[in-house]
Amino acid sequence: MKTIRIGLIAAGVLVGSLLIVSSARAHKDKHTPQQLKAFEEVFMEQVRIGDLLFHGDDATAKKLNVQLSRTGMACAMCHPFGSDNHPHEFPKFQEQIGQFATLRDMINWCIEKPNEGVKIDSDSPAMKALEAYIYWSNRGSKLDPGRH
Amino acid sequence: MDEIQRERSELQKTLQGKGERPGGSLQITRRTFLHKSVMTGAAGVATYGWFPLIGTLDFLVGQAGGPATAFKFAWISDNHLYPKEVNTRFVDKAVRAVKEVQAMKPAADFLIHGGDLAQLGDPVELDLGNEILKEVKIRKVFIPGEHDWYLDLGQKWTSLFGQPNWTFDHKGVRFVGLDTVSRGPDYWTAKKMSPKERMGHMATLDGSVAGSWAGVGRDQLQWLNQTLSSWPKDKPIVIFSHNPLYEYYPPWNFWVRDWREVHEVLRPYSNVTNIHGHTHQVLYNEIGKLRSIGMLATSWPWPYAPEGVPALTKCMVRADPGDFFDGVGYSRLTMNAASKIENEYVMWRKDTFAEAAVDSGCGDNVNQVLHPRIADQEWTYYGAYK
Repeated sequence: MKTIRIGLIAAGVLVGSLLIVSSARAHKDKHTPQQLKAFEEVFMEQVRIGDLLFHGDDATAKKLNVQLSRTGMACAMCHPFGSDNHPHEFPKFQEQIGQFATLRDMINWCIEKPNEGVKIDSDSPAMKALEAYIYWSNRGSKLDPGRH
Repeated sequence: MDEIQRERSELQKTLQGKGERPGGSLQITRRTFLHKSVMTGAAGVATYGWFPLIGTLDFLVGQAGGPATAFKFAWISDNHLYPKEVNTRFVDKAVRAVKEVQAMKPAADFLIHGGDLAQLGDPVELDLGNEILKEVKIRKVFIPGEHDWYLDLGQKWTSLFGQPNWTFDHKGVRFVGLDTVSRGPDYWTAKKMSPKERMGHMATLDGSVAGSWAGVGRDQLQWLNQTLSSWPKDKPIVIFSHNPLYEYYPPWNFWVRDWREVHEVLRPYSNVTNIHGHTHQVLYNEIGKLRSIGMLATSWPWPYAPEGVPALTKCMVRADPGDFFDGVGYSRLTMNAASKIENEYVMWRKDTFAEAAVDSGCGDNVNQVLHPRIADQEWTYYGAYK
């Protein structure tokens, strides 16, 4: 039993070291403009998908197998330009939910309650895209977690 | 200086000359005075804390030509009805407003419907709205909203409600209904949009495709000029429009693009009140001799725009998104025998005005920096709301 435990610890240390080395190597070389462009493209693609979901685009919702609304309402109808989302104020106590909540919790609350849609997995591609769009449309806002 | 600031400064310079105010006989009443005092800092906030605010804005209109006869009228707008099988929530709220207007005592002389009866201009939605409004037995007058218009370019709406602009005199007041929605630039032909696509882009408040569609138009400005020319310069005029007749926030068409020309036409008249929809929120503004009051929607409240909220506006409470009757309603307006017009916002749930910055719709939006959407500017993603 003792041998197994020592073996597991040793394996853990080895994997951890590899990750650290790999992570250090990833930042050792200067980024090329092409790399930076590629990173941005990955992000902006998610922003675009999130924008479409946020504005009630049926085709995008179907593609991602989500139903964000059953009332005809889209997120943007209450949040033009992503206003009144205040992503920079999360996590915080969210009155409507009655508990300490993340932005993803609040997105799901809006989907389920005002929109009467179907809650989505909090790590799903649709959630990540919605989060990307909401943060992007509020970029430059001062980080102020916990603000009511 | 960005474009919006430049225009605002130009507006101020052109229209807000020294001593320029709406109406020579305009008097600020106690309640309006109290809300102005809030803008003056800590002392004002303290004052506000001591006096309860009532959900009305009162003002006096000119006495020339004798006092007006007392009467009431009501405003309902921005119902954004979907077919019943899609959304009954908006139907319920429209029905409630209509029933309450019909039950007004003393009765209103007329109801003005300020546009956006439908959400996507669908004949089913417009017919549904028309049926709901039949509950109101008093006189009804209508102006269109963009949501009513752009599926069939106004065919169904005009077949139900007639001409989109009109005028009538009632008990010493000249009322004018303006059409601020039908003269949008053609953004659909070159892109070969279907009527539904055209409507979808128009129905997206923060979309970029429909552009600056809100406007009065040269022909209607001429008509307005002619319509008012026979009216004494100091007698009350009330102009109904879907969009505000000043520049509040152009990216959401919280304006008409030809506001300068509108003000030029209205300039000789000293008692003009514009009552408008579209903004779904409590708003009050004075520019030159024109005062403007924004009405509530029955459907949902829009957040205050990130900039441009008139300094004279005492903002409404932050709406609770979990309460479908919060932040929405309609208006009861009274002109009493002393020619005093009172606007009562009938908001169904909370108090109309916020008592602390943390509860205020525009106090809450100061810590956000916002950016326009992008997906609808790209052809590959073109066509949300197909």
